[in-house]
Amino acid sequence: MLLKKNSLALKGVLFAAASIVLVACGGDTHTEETITPPQDSVVVAEVETEEVTYSLPSPLQIASIFKKSGLKYKAGVTSELKDPAKYTSNLSKALNLGVYSADLSYAVLNKQNQEAMNYMKLSRQLADNLGMGTVFDQGNLSKRFEKNLNNEDSLAYIIAELQMVTDMYLDENDQQQITSIVFSGAWVESMYIGSKVYEKGKDKSLNSKLAEQMTILSSIIKALQAEEKKDPAITGLIADLVVIKDIYDGLPSVKGNPDAADDMEKELTLTDDEVAQLTTKIEALRVKFING
Amino acid sequence: MKYEVFTNSLKKPLKMSKKAFYISLVGLVFVFGFTTIQTADNCDKKALTTSCKKKLDPYKYDSQKFTKINFTKKAQQLEVEVPIFIGEKYRLVFNTSGLPKGIKINVYTKDKEAKKREPIFSNKDAKAEDKELVFDVPRARKMFVDYDVPADSTNAKLTGCMIFMVGYK
Repeated sequence: MLLKKNSLALKGVLFAAASIVLVACGGDTHTEETITPPQDSVVVAEVETEEVTYSLPSPLQIASIFKKSGLKYKAGVTSELKDPAKYTSNLSKALNLGVYSADLSYAVLNKQNQEAMNYMKLSRQLADNLGMGTVFDQGNLSKRFEKNLNNEDSLAYIIAELQMVTDMYLDENDQQQITSIVFSGAWVESMYIGSKVYEKGKDKSLNSKLAEQMTILSSIIKALQAEEKKDPAITGLIADLVVIKDIYDGLPSVKGNPDAADDMEKELTLTDDEVAQLTTKIEALRVKFING
Repeated sequence: MKYEVFTNSLKKPLKMSKKAFYISLVGLVFVFGFTTIQTADNCDKKALTTSCKKKLDPYKYDSQKFTKINFTKKAQQLEVEVPIFIGEKYRLVFNTSGLPKGIKINVYTKDKEAKKREPIFSNKDAKAEDKELVFDVPRARKMFVDYDVPADSTNAKLTGCMIFMVGYK
C-alpha cells in the first residue's frame, strides 16, 4: 500500500516535471508550414524598428571641453558646500550629485585641490544617500583620490574611473534614469559656470562652446523622456529643460543658421544678449536644483 | 526515514520514500535549471566593461552603453545616439561576446530617419571570432550606433547584450 502511494507521488511529480519541460521547449504548438515563394516575387524582409536610446557624455568631458576653450577658474562660482541631507527625493539627490560632479571636475582641472576634495566628499555622501556609495570604494577610488591630490592628470583619470563604475552599477541595477538625471544636473552646472565666466571675459571661443553645448540639450531631454516611466518626477525636469531649449531654438543666431548643428567647419556664435538670455534661465534652474 | 509532503487541498501527510523524494528533487532541479539556462543571457557586465576599458587606453573613459538584445522572428534595427563635440578625439570599443549570435554594427553621422547616409564604421569585414572592435572616430558632430539584429526563426528565445564604450582625449 505504502509502495503504491510512493509510486503515485513519484509519478505525479515526474508528470509535472515533464509538463514543464514540454511547455518550456514547445512554445507554439502549431506545425510549421513551408511556403515556397514564386520565382519572380521580391521578398521584402520585415524589420522592426525600436525606439532610439541615448548615450550621454560625462561631466568631466564637458569640463574638459570648456577648459580647452580657455575657461578660467573663477572663485565662488561653484555651488556652496551644503549638507547633502537636505535633499530628500531621489530626483534632488541625483540632480545635486550631478551639480557636485561638475564642480568636482571644474576644481580638478583648475588644480583647486581642497575644493576638489570637498566636492568629492559631498559626492560620496549624496551617493550614499542614493544607496550607491559603494562605487567610491571600488578600486580604492576615494583613497587614491586623496593620495593624488597634487596630480591633476591622475585625479582626472580617477574621476573617469569613478564615472565608469557608477555607470556600470546603475546599469546592473536597472537605474539608468539616475544616469540621465545626474548628467542633467552636471550639464546645468557646467553651463552656469561657463556662462558666468563668459560674462567677465567675453571670450569668443567660450561663446561657441556654450552654443555647442546647447546642441546636446535635445539628447538630454530625449534620454530623460525614455526613462520617464521609472520616476514620475522626471516629467517636471523635462519641462524645465524644454523651456531652455525653446529659448535657444528661438534665438536669431540659431534660427539664422539652421545647418550649424551639422556643419563641421562652422562654429555658431551667439550675441552677448543671447548668452545673457540663456544664462538667466540656466541660473534660475540651477537655483531650483540646489534648493531641492 | 520518511518525508512528509503536504498538499494545500488535503492537508494530509503523504508518505514518500527517501529515494522517491530525491529522484523528484533532481527532476525538478533539472527542469528549473534547464529553463533558466534557456532564458538567461550571457551578459556579464563587469567582465565586458573591464575588457572594453583595456582597449580604450590611452583614451579617457567617457561613457558606455549596454543594449539588451532579444532575437525574435523579425529582424530588428536598434539605434543609440551619441553626442560628440568638435575638436575632441574619440574612440569607440565594441564587445560582442555577450551575444549568442552575430549582428551587424554600423556607425553613422546621421540618424536612421535620414534619407541618405553612409556608415563611417562597419563590422561587415570583421571575423566571427573578433569579439572586440576598436573604432577611432573621425571629426563629426554626432554619432548614431546602429545594431542590425537578424531574425531568428528557431524560436529559441535567444538573448544577449551589446556594449560599446566611448573614450576621448
